[in-house]
Amino acid sequence: MRNLPSVAFTAIAAIALASPLAAAQKNGTIAQDFKLTDVNGKTVQLSQFRGKTVILEWHNPGCPFVSKHYSSGNMQATQKAARQQGAVWLTINSGAKGKQGHMTGAEAKALIAKQNIQSTNYLFDTKGVVGKAYGARTTPHMYIIDGSGILVYQGGIDDKPTANPADIKRARNHVLAALGEIKSGDKVSVAQSRPYGCSVKYAS
Amino acid sequence: MTFDFRILAMMLAFVTLAFAPAAEAQNRLGNTELNVPATLLAESQQVQAGQTVTLAFLMEPKPTWHGYWENPGDAGIGMSFDWKLPAGVTAGKAQFPVPDTLLISGIMNYVYKGDYAVLVNLTLSKNVRPGPLPISVKSEWLSCTDEICVPEQDELSITLQVVEAESSAPIDKRFNDFRTAMARPLGSDATFSVSDDRFRLSVPLPANVRLDKPYFFIKEDGMVDYGAPQKFTRDGDRLILETGARGDQLDTISGILKIGDHMGFLFTAAKGEVAMTGLPLVNDGAKAEGSASLLFLALGGALLGGLLLNLMPCVFPILSLKAISLAKAGGNESEVRRDALAYTAGVVLVATALGAILLGLRASGAAVGWAFQLQDPRIIFVLLALVTAIGLNLAGLFELPNLNFGNKLTKKDGTAGSFWTGALAAFVATPCTGPFMAAALGATIVLPPVAALVIFAGLGVGLALPFLLIAFVPAIRSRLPKPGPWLDSFRKIMAIPMFLTSIGLIWLLGRQIGTDALGLSLIFLLTISLILWWFGGGQMKGLSRGALTSAAMVVAIVAGILALPGEDAMNDQKLASSSSATLPSEPFSETRLSELRASGEPVFAYFTADWCITCKANEAAAIQRTETAKAFAAAKVTVLMGDWTRPDPDISRFLEKHGRAGVPLYLYYAPGKEPVILPQILTVATLTDLVTNPV
Repeated sequence: MRNLPSVAFTAIAAIALASPLAAAQKNGTIAQDFKLTDVNGKTVQLSQFRGKTVILEWHNPGCPFVSKHYSSGNMQATQKAARQQGAVWLTINSGAKGKQGHMTGAEAKALIAKQNIQSTNYLFDTKGVVGKAYGARTTPHMYIIDGSGILVYQGGIDDKPTANPADIKRARNHVLAALGEIKSGDKVSVAQSRPYGCSVKYAS
Repeated sequence: MTFDFRILAMMLAFVTLAFAPAAEAQNRLGNTELNVPATLLAESQQVQAGQTVTLAFLMEPKPTWHGYWENPGDAGIGMSFDWKLPAGVTAGKAQFPVPDTLLISGIMNYVYKGDYAVLVNLTLSKNVRPGPLPISVKSEWLSCTDEICVPEQDELSITLQVVEAESSAPIDKRFNDFRTAMARPLGSDATFSVSDDRFRLSVPLPANVRLDKPYFFIKEDGMVDYGAPQKFTRDGDRLILETGARGDQLDTISGILKIGDHMGFLFTAAKGEVAMTGLPLVNDGAKAEGSASLLFLALGGALLGGLLLNLMPCVFPILSLKAISLAKAGGNESEVRRDALAYTAGVVLVATALGAILLGLRASGAAVGWAFQLQDPRIIFVLLALVTAIGLNLAGLFELPNLNFGNKLTKKDGTAGSFWTGALAAFVATPCTGPFMAAALGATIVLPPVAALVIFAGLGVGLALPFLLIAFVPAIRSRLPKPGPWLDSFRKIMAIPMFLTSIGLIWLLGRQIGTDALGLSLIFLLTISLILWWFGGGQMKGLSRGALTSAAMVVAIVAGILALPGEDAMNDQKLASSSSATLPSEPFSETRLSELRASGEPVFAYFTADWCITCKANEAAAIQRTETAKAFAAAKVTVLMGDWTRPDPDISRFLEKHGRAGVPLYLYYAPGKEPVILPQILTVATLTDLVTNPV
C-alpha cells in the first residue's frame, strides 16, 4: 500500500485539473498562494513576496499576441518599470508538455536572454494547477496582487485586443496604470478588463 | 447523426464559386496563404441610389481551423472591419451566423468550424451618382486550431454598379444559405438576473418549440462564465437558463439562443427577477437521470419479453425436455450450473450481437439521410406493418420458416455444447421468437444506441432465465408444465396485444396525416396482410413461396412509404389545417401578393413563427377571432400567411424590405393604395377598422 498516497494525490490533481475555470480569484480577496519551480529548478512561493506588489503574467512564447508585446519591447518595458518601483514580476508558463509554448528550463533561459525578459522569475506550471486556480484563460493574462496579498487587478495587458504592434502606442497599458495608482495610494480605477490573446494551452 | 442538407447546399455553392469570377474580390494582402481565407461577395452587382445592398465575407476555414464569433468567448478575438467607402455610402453592423461552442481544457471558444459568411449591409444615400462604386475593406480576424492561433488580415475589394432603374442583375443565390445560417430576432425581450455568482436568464419561448441542445451565446463580455455548464428549465412559455456569473455591471445584455443546428434567436434582456421554475430540460448532464429510469423500464420490459419467449411453442419444448432430463439424471449439480451459465452466455451474446447489427444498419441509414424519428409518419407506417405482421404470425396465419443448421455444434458435450445451444436458442429459434425480437427491433429504431443494446441483452437474459432457474433450483424441474395444445392457445392470445398496438399506431398515423392518407396506407397494410395469408396458405400445402413473398412484401412496404407524406409535406399539412382555422389563409408568396394586388383585391398579410410568442398572442387575441373573420369575409379580404418557423430566404428578404429583421409583421393592402404596416400588438378593432373605416 505504499503507493496509496500518490494515487490519492493523482486523484486530487485530476479533479483539480478537470474542473472548469470557474474557480477564478476575485478582486479584493487574498490571492491564492502557490509554489512553482523556476527555470533553475528553484521553488518560488507567492507568499514569500508579502509586502511587495506582485505581478503575474501568463506567457506562451509561440503565441502571436505575446510576440506583439515582446518583439515591440512593450512587455519588457512594463516589467522594468514595475521592478524599478519595487514590484515582483512572475512570468508563468502553464503550457503542458507537447503543447505550443512548452519549454524546458534551458530553453526558457535562452529565451529570457534573447528577448531580454525582465521578470523576477520565470515559472513553470506544466500541470496547469495555478493557471486554473487563477482562471488564467489567455496569453498574456495579467494579475496584480498588492503588498497585503490582495488581488487588485486582473485582465489584459492593455485595451487594444489586436496582434498589431502598431496599436500599442494608442493603447492604455492597464498594468502600468494600476501600478501608478497603487504607488500614489489610489484605488485601481480599472480593476478588471477583458484579457485577450491565445488560449492557455492546458494539459486537459 | 443527421445529414444537413444546408451544408450540402453550401458546398455546392462553393463549387459554383469557381465559375462566378465577376463577384469575386481582389487584392489579397501579401501572398501568404491564409488559414481562414475570406472572400467578399455582393448579393447583387447593381444597386440603386437610396437603397441597400448586402455584402458577405465568405470565410472558408481549412480543415482543423476555426474562426470566431463577435464575442469570441474566454480566448480569441472577433473580426474587425476598416471600410474605405465612396461618399454617401455607409456600412452597417456586421451580422454573424449562429456560432458553435468549442471547449478546450475548460476554456470556452465561440467559433465557426465550417464555412461561414458574415453579412454587412451597405446603404447608399439618395444622391450617389450612377456608375461604378468601388468598395474596399481591410479586415482582421483570428484563425485558430485547437492548438495554435494565427492573426490574419486581408484587404478585400469589390466594385458594384450604381444604376438608375431597378436592378436587373441576378441575385446571388448563395446569400439564401448565408441568411439561413443567421440568428433571427425573437421579437420579445428576455429578463436576466445575477445573484450569488449565478446568472439566470428567462426567455419568452412557446412551450411547444422543440429544442436540440440549447445554448445561450452572450454578446457582452464580463457577465457570464463562458465555460460553466448551462442548465435549462421550461416553465410554460418561458425557457429559463442558469449558469455561472462573472459580473453584474450591465443592465441590458443581448445574445443568441441556439436551439439547433443553424437555428438561433437574437434578443436583448433587461435586468429583473428570474426564478428557476419549471421542469428541467432533458439535456446533456441532466439527461442522465431521466434516461436512466427510462432505461430501467425498457430493461424490465425486455426481461419480461425474454421470459415470455420461453412460452413460445418452439422454445418451450426444449426447456421442458431439458428440465425432464435434469430431473431424471440428478447428475452433477456443479456441471449442470456451469452448463446453464454457458447457455445464458450464448443467448445473451447472440441477442446483443443481433442488436448491434441492427444499430449498424440504422447508422448506415442515418448516413444517407434517414432520420429515424417517431414523429415521421413513414416510420410509424413501417412499425404498423411490422406489428400487424407479428400479430398475424401469432394468430397462426402463417409460420416463419425454420433455420436448420448449427446442430453439429449443439451436439458437442459439456460447456461448449451448452454455449452453442444457447446461441442457437436465440438465433435459430428466431423465427418463433421473431415477434418479440421484432418488437425490440422497433425499439432500436427510435432509442439511443446504448438503450437499444441493453434491451437486446435484457431479452437474452429473460430468455435464459428459466434455464438458470431449473439449473440452480432443482425443485422447479419436476413442476414445469408439460408442452401441449395450451401452448398454441397461448400463442394466439399473444396476438391480441400486438393488434392493440396496431390500432394505437393507426390512430397516431391518422392524427398525423389525416383520414384520406390513412385510408391509403390501410390499403397497403391490407395488401401486406393478404400477401402473408397467401404465403401461409402455401405453407399449409407445402409450397415454398418465400422468395416471391419477400419480394412482394418489400414492394408493398416501399409503395406504402412512398405514398405517405414526409416531414415537409407535414408542414404543408399544417398550412392546410390553417384553412380550417377561424380566419382561413393562403401561404404567402410575393407572386400571389402581386396577383391579388393587380386584380384589385384587399390583402391582409401576416408573418408568424411557431417560436414567436408575440405572434401567437396576436393570433389568439386579434387574428383568429370570429369578429375579424366576419369583417374580412364581408370586405372580401384575402389573407396571406408567411410562416417563418423555419428560415425562409424569400420571407427574410420580404421582411427586410419592410424594415423588419423578424416577425411579427402585419400588412394591410387596400386596393390601389400603399400598404399599411400595422402595429406589433394587434386588437380586433385594429383589424376590423381596416375594412370598415378604410384608411
